[in-house]
This record gives sequence, structure tokens and C-alpha cells, in this order.
Amino acid sequence: MAARQRLKAVLIDLSGTLHIEDSAVPGAQEALSRLRRAPVAVRFVTNTTKECKRTLLERLCRLDFDIQEREIFTSLSAARGLVERRALRPLLLLEHSALEDFSGIETSDPNAVVIGLAPEHFNYETLNKAFRLVLEGAPLIAIHKARYYKKKDGLALGPGPFVTGLEYATDTQATVVGKPEKTFFLEALRDLDCQPEEAIMIGDDARDDVGGAQNSGMLGILVKTGKYRAGDEAKISPQPHLTCENFPQAVDHILQHLV
Amino acid sequence: MAEMDWKHTIRDLKGVVLDMCGVLYDSGEGDGVAIDGSIEAVKRLKASDLQLRFCTNETQATREKFVAKLGRLGFDICVDEVFSPAPAAVTILKERGLRPHLLVHDDVVPEFDAVEKTDPNCVIIGDAADNFSYQNLNKAFQVLIGLEKPVLFSLGRGRYYKEMDGLKLDVGVYMKALEYACDVEAEVVGKPSPVFFQSVLADMGIQPSQALMIGDDLVNDVGGAQSCGMRGLLVKTGKYRGDHTGIKRKLSEGKHDTRHWTAAPEVSGRSPGCIHVIGRPAE
Repeated sequence: MAARQRLKAVLIDLSGTLHIEDSAVPGAQEALSRLRRAPVAVRFVTNTTKECKRTLLERLCRLDFDIQEREIFTSLSAARGLVERRALRPLLLLEHSALEDFSGIETSDPNAVVIGLAPEHFNYETLNKAFRLVLEGAPLIAIHKARYYKKKDGLALGPGPFVTGLEYATDTQATVVGKPEKTFFLEALRDLDCQPEEAIMIGDDARDDVGGAQNSGMLGILVKTGKYRAGDEAKISPQPHLTCENFPQAVDHILQHLV
Repeated sequence: MAEMDWKHTIRDLKGVVLDMCGVLYDSGEGDGVAIDGSIEAVKRLKASDLQLRFCTNETQATREKFVAKLGRLGFDICVDEVFSPAPAAVTILKERGLRPHLLVHDDVVPEFDAVEKTDPNCVIIGDAADNFSYQNLNKAFQVLIGLEKPVLFSLGRGRYYKEMDGLKLDVGVYMKALEYACDVEAEVVGKPSPVFFQSVLADMGIQPSQALMIGDDLVNDVGGAQSCGMRGLLVKTGKYRGDHTGIKRKLSEGKHDTRHWTAAPEVSGRSPGCIHVIGRPAE
């Protein structure tokens, strides 16, 4: 096995890895404390198009996790990073609760479209507005392309179908910034002065967390909590660096073998 | 050479098929607006020895309502000359024993009056415009994803069309959205489906090589017709944007009458286009 650089950063998925809805994974808080005593940076990463960082932080604090807001990186953060780097003025098709993460970004006279899960904006008039901008050359930035998601009363359309529709209408391709895109993982490491080869990702989604991370050059640990189903580890190539029971075990492995 | 090809086309021509929106008129507030010279051009075609049919992917109204609107704009067209997707879809539903969930414009619903719609086992989407709300789209999605064998019909697959207040998303965009959401492939009824063009040719009793399709949509009008062996003529009115890759355009001077449609013929994608008169030139 090729020698790897020293581990500098650990990326940790939230829902399904640290907590399942409103319950922490048993032992996760203590495992995080142990991880923090090692000389590694820690970032908490998630795909979301609805929840701003403050909301995510509040939930994690309620569950007794020792986390700072600046350590949270979401697909919304990734989109903001892209918008800032390219000095774009976006039309934001986002839920109201997500707009906080774009405060300070100029949105008048838009020359870009940022699209997340926003049913209130997916009406004919607003989509036409977005369509005309993209047709005239505005970049289309998608928070992620999930097909649908599960609600209490059944399945509901995610942002993916609308992004696909706009791509077809304008004969362009959206830049997708959420997991499992490489952009997401590289952006998450951007302010840590850390190469992908010096980082590891812990998550419960074989394709979006581990597959995506490993494709960008990182190592990945798949945990068998949250949405994990038996055999998921075989669905990606290469397979996860490690598949283990839960986040505390993943931390044990890192402290014993990689630091 | 485009000139020789065009002369052959004219010589062998027995029928003309006209797209409507973007060729005869632009839609918008009220009835819309007839495109300059189009009313006269249709009259001249009808007075000639060529057969004439109208082929539209219009699904925002029944054929009767649609033809009445064109009458008010000054066109002399009757329902029997018009081919549109909704009646074609009804035929397919009957043949295959299907009951549709409809996501279409309110004004085209009457075309489906005779069709059983309870306990749907397929979804039909048309150019629903403001009916393309998230809620309606979600309902169509839930019907589809709940079927053991999801069947999705799309009345046309256009990307956008032109109205007086700007370009607007067409049914194809929402077809792609539902295809992606459910991982299915839609069946297209209407242009550019070959079955649709063939039904028009059969009605005229002529061969594809004897027919010319005139439209403003490169893919759905001209491309679709040419795939069936018909000739295609692309007009620069309506949704035409002048940025289609693969078209070479050569303007040849003095050969056109500007009162008529100016066009850049796409002859099998090989020859550069030039401007021609439709029908027999006025002397």
C-alpha cells in the first residue's frame, strides 16, 4: 500500500452518522471529544438546501455535541463559495430558511441561478425567470440533484428534476456543488490548508459520503448507522477504506492507525 | 448544391405541412398576432395544386377553439386540416386500455372527455403553462412512482416557445423532470414522433419525399420531418434564435420576396441554406 501523508483533517457527516433525527448516536459525543485531542482539524459536512448553519448548530448543541458554527460546511456553503469566487449575483431559488447563509451576497440584477429544494419557487413564472437568465448565459448552480425525498405523507420531488429540466431547456449543464461532487469535498478542505490525500471522511451514505470523498482523493469510512443497508460497501469502487459499526468505532480506528 | 436540391424538392412537391405557432402567428395576449404575410401565403398555397395540412403541438386548447382563434386572426383553416397531439393521444389510450392522470392546460381537457380517468394507470403531460405548479407536478410524480409499470406520455417535447412577453418553458422540460425523477422514458405524442408525421402523410395520401414541413423549431419541426424522409424548411420567425449549431447559412441575393416567409432550408444537414419563396413565386 502506498504511503499516505499524515492525516490532517476529518470530515464528518451529520444526519445518520452523528445523530439519527433528534437522538445522538450512542457514544458519539465522547468519541468526538477524543478525536479533538488529536492533532487534526474537524469539519462537519452535510447536503442541505433548507437549513442554514445556525439551525444545524442549534440541533447539535441540543444533543450535547461540542461544535462551533465555523466548523460546519454544507452544500449551501459550497454554493456560496463558488458564487463569491466568481463574483456572481445569483437569483436564489432557495427556501427562506436557507437565505441566511447567503447574507451579504449581492442579488440584484442577477447573472447566475442557484437552485436548491424550494417548492415555493418551482412555479411556472419563477422557473421561466430562471430559464431566461440561463439561456442568456447565466451559470446554473445546483445545490444537489436529489430525485425525491421522503416526507411523512409519501415521496416528494427533490431539486434534481427541476435542474434536469432547466438543463434540457437551455442545453447547458448545471454545476452541482453538493455531495458526492468533488467540488464539495475540495471546498470543505479549502480553508484547512489540507490536500485531499491528507483527509478522511466518515459517513453513512456509501455513494454520496464515502464514494464521493474517495473520488476526490480522500479516504472514506462507512458507518453502519443511518441509511446504511447491508452490502452498501460493495456498491462503490473502490470499496471504503473501512466499514465499521458506528462513529465511535471510526474514531477508534483513526486514533489507532492514522494519527 | 442547395439550388439543385431545392429545385428538385419543388418539382416533386405534392403537399406542404405547416407548423402553426411561430410560422403563421405569434402567441401572446388575447389571440396573438398574425406574422406578416402569413395569411396571404396560406391563401396562395390553398389556391395552388399542393395539398395542405397543419401540424401543431398546440395543447393549450381543443382543435375547435384553436382553429376558431386562427379564424379571428384572418386565417382560412378548418379543423379537419389540423393535426395535434391530444386526439392522437386519445387514440393511443383507447388502443392500449390506458386511463390517464392529466397534467395539461385546462382548455385542452375537453379533448379527453370520452376517456376514463379514474384509477389512472398512466400520466399525460401537455403544455400546461401555469398548471405546472410544484403541487401538480408532485401529484403526477406520485401517480407515476406508485405504478408498477410507470407509463408517461408527453404531448410534444419542445424546450421552449415564444410568446409576446418572452420565451417560456415548454412541455419537454417537465417531461425531462419526470423522467429523471422516476427513471423512466416518456413516449412522445406529436412532433417529432414519426408516427405523428406519418398520420399526416397518410391523410394526404402522399409519400414523405413529396412533402415539405415548414416550421420554426429545428428539432421538432424540421428534424422530426426529415427523419421521416420529408423535406424540411426552417423559418426565422417564432422561436428561431439563429444559434443552432450545424446550420450553415448563405444568403443569396435577389431571390426572395420579403412579403413572404424568409427561410434557411436545412436540406439533410449537408447544404448551406439560402432564402426561398414558399409556394409558387408571384410573377
